[in-house]
Amino acid sequence: MIFAKVIGTIVSTQKDSNLNGKKLLLCKEVDHSGKPLETYHVAVDAVQAGEGSFVLLSYGSSARMTDETKNAPIDAVVIAIIDDVQITHQFK
Amino acid sequence: MKLGVVIGVVWASRKVEALDACRMYIVQPVSSENNPVESPLVVADPKGLAASGDKIVYVTSTDAVEAFDSGFVPVNASVVELVDVVV
Repeated sequence: MIFAKVIGTIVSTQKDSNLNGKKLLLCKEVDHSGKPLETYHVAVDAVQAGEGSFVLLSYGSSARMTDETKNAPIDAVVIAIIDDVQITHQFK
Repeated sequence: MKLGVVIGVVWASRKVEALDACRMYIVQPVSSENNPVESPLVVADPKGLAASGDKIVYVTSTDAVEAFDSGFVPVNASVVELVDVVV
């Protein structure tokens, strides 16, 4: 799983029929502190995330493991909206 | 399977139903000498094994899904063992 910030939604009328009714979010990858990284992902929304949300994103074949995304050509899904990230152990 | 140390906790109240009772940790991958390798990642803990500061073994990719009893969970990494000692 990776951290991401939702920066937009994607609207499409012509698409694979298995993607009908699924909300697609444009997400920018961030690190655990919220600092933006270079990568972008288009992810299916499984938790009603909105623009600006700090989310947890699952990718690859694991992304198909939700009721929302099974049997669909999908490789990224938003699985949680993050409330807080605590660094509890300083690594030495 | 890889070695890591739990360095943080991810709190999320709204998540997919399958992950409701599952804690998420930030894990720093380490070598056998306990030196950090690669960058930290988010790891699910399906069996509630780990706590902050613990050394663990985690699996990634499709195998991470197998760590859950249901086998139908959208995760990329899971804790599978709590390490007592590396000899």
